[in-house]
Amino acid sequence: MGLEFLARVRHTAAIAGFVAALFAATYASYAVGIGVAVGVGWSIANLAMLQTIVLAMTGPGGGRSRVTLRAALAMAGTAGLLAVAAWLLPHLSLAGVAIGFTLPFAVMLLKAVSSVLLGSGAWRRLTASRWRPALLVALALVAAFAITDVVTRPLRAAPATSSTATLAQAGGEGAGTKAGGEHSANAEAGEQEEQGPPEFPTAVGVLARLGHGTAWGAFLHHDEAIVYSLLVALLLCIVFVTAAARSEKVPGGFTNVIEYLVETLHDFVCDILGPKYGPRFVPFLGSLFLYIWCMNLFGIIPFMKSPTSSLNVTLALALTVVLYVHFTAIKELGFIGWLDHLAGSPRSVVDWCLVPLMFPIHVIGELAKPVSLSCRLFGNIFGEDMLLVGFASLGVTALAATHLPFGIPLHFPFLFLALMTSTIQALVFTMLSTIYFLLMLPHDHGHGHEEGAHHAH
Amino acid sequence: MNYQAALGLALPLGVGLAAVGSGIGLGMIGNGAMQAIGRQPEATARIQTAMIIIGAFAEALTIYAFVTVFLLSSKIS
Repeated sequence: MGLEFLARVRHTAAIAGFVAALFAATYASYAVGIGVAVGVGWSIANLAMLQTIVLAMTGPGGGRSRVTLRAALAMAGTAGLLAVAAWLLPHLSLAGVAIGFTLPFAVMLLKAVSSVLLGSGAWRRLTASRWRPALLVALALVAAFAITDVVTRPLRAAPATSSTATLAQAGGEGAGTKAGGEHSANAEAGEQEEQGPPEFPTAVGVLARLGHGTAWGAFLHHDEAIVYSLLVALLLCIVFVTAAARSEKVPGGFTNVIEYLVETLHDFVCDILGPKYGPRFVPFLGSLFLYIWCMNLFGIIPFMKSPTSSLNVTLALALTVVLYVHFTAIKELGFIGWLDHLAGSPRSVVDWCLVPLMFPIHVIGELAKPVSLSCRLFGNIFGEDMLLVGFASLGVTALAATHLPFGIPLHFPFLFLALMTSTIQALVFTMLSTIYFLLMLPHDHGHGHEEGAHHAH
Repeated sequence: MNYQAALGLALPLGVGLAAVGSGIGLGMIGNGAMQAIGRQPEATARIQTAMIIIGAFAEALTIYAFVTVFLLSSKIS
């Protein structure tokens, strides 16, 4: 039980340390981020070596000399790590290393507390209903937001060094009139509303303008796409959890539709990936399709905006897919098998001579995948958005002289184009992701067709 | 010619040139789809699906140029 607990602590601490290092690198500085990463790595290595030492000394001692050797190596390793860290410490941020070093211990403490908590009666009472824990999570999120608001208030008051301050400024000035001199005071052109491409006003945008100058207002203004994508995800979760919770012998209307969707997606993915790997990736690829489809369609709803009309969201989706594909490839083919696949599977002397050519080509092809996936989706949805805005503005301009409070809805036909584009782009994204999985997984037919298939972008 | 005039000239021209290539590509896709449907009308649904998906790829290239226009259009003062 203890060893397994330690292994889980190391695993969780590695992931938490990675995330913490990213946070520190983004919000503090690169030095602090690297410091956190080094601290976490050092602490985990220390824990692993301590475990080796203790096991070697006190464990089942078959072959005493070998385990004593292992213990001695581990002790030497610990001492060596200490020396390396002490040498690196002046070059790294002390705060970062300290935070990183204590992170696994914090993880250990939290895991111990949670295992005590989970066995207690209070937890059973809390999780008896479905809505009490949901309320608790919502309250925790609000509290986390309030705390970060209070904690980062002095950082936001600093002049023009933090982007939130600049954006709160831009949000405040963008709502009013523009003057030539104010443009120079602000940050890059894309952050201001009047210099970027025009967009429809959205519900979140209105809320952000109501709250400009506050932290949540700046957050809503800066992260509008993220708020909408979370909203779409929440809606999808509610719909599907409701559908899955119903267990009827004969499915009614709503469950029928959801089952039809799931079955179609299952057939679609299994057609391409085959019966062996298909069912494994149906949840991911099916959810990807539904999520992208709903996000694309969100832009057609009045006062809503497609999150996929922001390159950040589409790039995140594309990177997730590509990283998952490579992770699956490494898991299925092994690390050497993955490298061999990237080098073009050299089998003969000619193939081996071509490896210095094939490997960079394949790597560049792999790098081109997230770029093309994200730009295709972003360009289509952003373009359709701009089209709607352009024609709606034209319609408003047409009636501007009459001072009526509305305009001609000239953008109406393009709403149908938007419906079609949304569905097609979601389908294309999902199909390409499925094909990327197919290319990476071991397939039975020969490798001859691979070069042709690799040039599909 | 300052950079704003150059951008104002080049950006629409870039999109237009990209559209030429996409137009030719989409025409060829349509041609292939029409011939395939003519040969085997029973497979129309599958051919149409494949045609639309490949059309999305060919269109994406012009979309890349379109996106570049929007990214750079703010620089034209």
